[in-house]
Amino acid sequence: MRLWSWLAAVVQHMNCREPCATMSNGYRCGVPERSPGQANLVRVLNIARSTLRVVMGFLLASSFASAQNGAPAPRPSDEFSFMQLLADKGLHDIENESWNAYGQFTYISSWKPSFSAPYTNLNGSINSLLPTAERSFTGTATLYLGVRLWKGAEGYLVPELISEQPFSQLRGLGGAIQNFELQKGGTSVPQIYHSRIFVKQTVGLGGKSLVEESGPLQLGTHYDSRRLVFVAGNFSILDFFDTNAFDVDPRDGFLGLGFLTYGAYDFASDARGYSYGGVGEFFWDDWAVRVGRITPPKDPNQLPVDFRLFKYYGDQIELEHKHKIREQEGMVRALAFRNRENMGRFSDAIAAFEADAKENATTCTGFNYGSQNAGAPDLCWARKPNVKKGIGVFAEQYIGHDLGVFGRAMYADGQTEVYAYTSDDRSATVGLLAKGSSWSRPKDVAGIGGNLGWISSIHAKYLGMGGVDGFVGDGAITAAAEKSLDLFYSAHFRGVYWLTGDYQHITNPGFNAARGPVNVFTVRIHGQF
Amino acid sequence: MASFESHRSCAYALLAGFVLLAFGPSLAHAQQPASGFAVERLYQSAPGAGWFVMDDLDISGRLGGAVSLTSGYARNPLVITGPDGKQKLAVVSEEAFVDFGAAITHDRFRGYIDFPVPLLLSGTSGTLGQYQFTAPSVSFGSNPDTVSDPRIGFDLRLLGEPGGLLRLGAGAQLIFPSGSRADYVTDDKYRAMFRFLAAGAAGAFRYAGQLGVHVRTLNDAPVPGSPDGSEFLYGISGGRRFAGPNGWAVVAGPEIFGETAFRAFFSGETGTEALLTGRFEHTGTGRNLRIKLGVGHALVQNFGAAQWRIVFGVEMFGQK
Repeated sequence: MRLWSWLAAVVQHMNCREPCATMSNGYRCGVPERSPGQANLVRVLNIARSTLRVVMGFLLASSFASAQNGAPAPRPSDEFSFMQLLADKGLHDIENESWNAYGQFTYISSWKPSFSAPYTNLNGSINSLLPTAERSFTGTATLYLGVRLWKGAEGYLVPELISEQPFSQLRGLGGAIQNFELQKGGTSVPQIYHSRIFVKQTVGLGGKSLVEESGPLQLGTHYDSRRLVFVAGNFSILDFFDTNAFDVDPRDGFLGLGFLTYGAYDFASDARGYSYGGVGEFFWDDWAVRVGRITPPKDPNQLPVDFRLFKYYGDQIELEHKHKIREQEGMVRALAFRNRENMGRFSDAIAAFEADAKENATTCTGFNYGSQNAGAPDLCWARKPNVKKGIGVFAEQYIGHDLGVFGRAMYADGQTEVYAYTSDDRSATVGLLAKGSSWSRPKDVAGIGGNLGWISSIHAKYLGMGGVDGFVGDGAITAAAEKSLDLFYSAHFRGVYWLTGDYQHITNPGFNAARGPVNVFTVRIHGQF
Repeated sequence: MASFESHRSCAYALLAGFVLLAFGPSLAHAQQPASGFAVERLYQSAPGAGWFVMDDLDISGRLGGAVSLTSGYARNPLVITGPDGKQKLAVVSEEAFVDFGAAITHDRFRGYIDFPVPLLLSGTSGTLGQYQFTAPSVSFGSNPDTVSDPRIGFDLRLLGEPGGLLRLGAGAQLIFPSGSRADYVTDDKYRAMFRFLAAGAAGAFRYAGQLGVHVRTLNDAPVPGSPDGSEFLYGISGGRRFAGPNGWAVVAGPEIFGETAFRAFFSGETGTEALLTGRFEHTGTGRNLRIKLGVGHALVQNFGAAQWRIVFGVEMFGQK
């Protein structure tokens, strides 16, 4: 409550910005002429206010960050792009496109100094974040191709290239993984794959005509505010669910995985984060509801996909409402998911081990993560068709020009292993995000945010016995919430590039208070065309 | 005496055992594993180019473009004959793919990209001579996002006008390695193609042809059935156009295409296929559509020329 009061006061203060900016012309924010002493005071206040703006910019930037998602943002018409170039030359109708093509490349380099850890990979467990200094990187290049197939139908193809090297083979962190581009099983040898191939059919139902700007995964067009949308093919579920209204491209925003979506949203997807399936959306002016069924991987956190969509699947439903508070746009969403997958329950793995110690982490011949801890239970012994459920809420609100706050939280049942996203069973994220219009760099983005992830008591018990899941398991645990603070600034330069500096402070890595904290310093270069 | 014979037998047995122990591992070691390579030899033309392999060079006008989806199934694209000339091993007996392409055209120029996605590759593993062949095992579920050897290309109409009797052109492609050699979808090396193209129309007759070079640095000789370096490309097609109402037409006719390794130019290491094709198309200004179907058989079945294959394609193309 105090935060909201403070933010409201800051916004009220900043609303005076325009008149004050013309002070040299005699305007005084509506106050009469002042004496020289008062003028000095005003000067000091102005400096303080400018400083405050920059600081607020940083603070609010984090809120945008939490609102980002896996889908790229639209490209404003004042940004350089190949399509805009064609449109400017009269060769392309960018407002009613029959096709478009966009691209991006991003290189992210992270460095983690050594940190304190009383134990690492205890008793042959394998999922500790290594306490030594490490470097991690990802390099991605993406081509977004879109074409209008027939009336109301759009087709998209997105080939992508990635090269990567995670910290500690992507082990030892829950939702606090420092770089959302990291994929499970990735290598430093560049790999080309198709991230998306899907068809989208829109059926107009009337209402107002809305302009959809041209961008990656979006042909420039007009939609009815009331419409039905059907999507089928290969995509990221985050292209449609839990999307970001702040229009901040994830590759310009927060770097932490926990800011991409709910940390506890274990959406069904392959090791790269993509799925096959279908999505249906119903828009009715400011309201929207969407449902989707998508494919899980055959084995947890692996690339091969199980296409038996009636046996194993990830279902989700989301309700969304857009609103305005004092003319500032905002959005509220609620999302629930239910996955049916061939996954292990922590209680079953523990029970199997307690009934027969031979059923430990070293003896199972089914799919396992390779733990060498013979005194630990293993989910491999417990895999069978099980259900995981979760429900979350999200809210974002502009509180000023290009300033926004957001928050999201999710509660999942926490009875079964991570199958696709993070080891979080419960998660909460808050943040502030700002674009740089307040300091005359409108393409810059800054943000600060906090991300928390918890695990269930049975999950903690399993890890405490030395068990491992897809990401965490030190061999022992002092269970605690994993927390990360993410602070970044993205500077736009030369029309198509963004250079980002990012700092993350991670407490209780892998939900283990006995280890850490961990500091991560990151530099990112991103270009789009 | 009997005792001496017995000892001699024992000595022979020991000697034989020693020989087996000494040379057994080396004999086993001599069975070299054969690596996979890009087995697909249906080197498709650019999106919007009309034929499956040849190019109609019908590039003209203002800014235009094309998108294409092609899918196909090939039976026995890699059957290797043993040193005795009799033993055969279908290392790749089934292959299916879907291929996405997009092109931009302007005046007489065309640039394009193409992304093949393997859907199925399977076959029979076995030993031929001193080589151990391991069949691929690719399904869409196991490789849900593989893009195998995508390519970018550039074509240019040098002489002639669209619809004319003779058009000459040239094209170049750069193929990026992607995927796994074990899956028989890539050489894991960069490749390039340079082609001289010809096409034309005489009344209702349509034809096209090509000669070119496939710059292929992979040379797995003497492994039977494997790439042997750069290759010479050739092909010819011809068909009759049956005009229909409202700009629609059907063009039907054969395409014959193949390749041979330069290093074995006269040794029969050549693969040649014939594809009977038919396409239902609407051409003109604005948006156009082409639906293609081809059924083919190998004329000379070598490294990638399928025993038989079926190909289906859809192209949308047009000009602003």
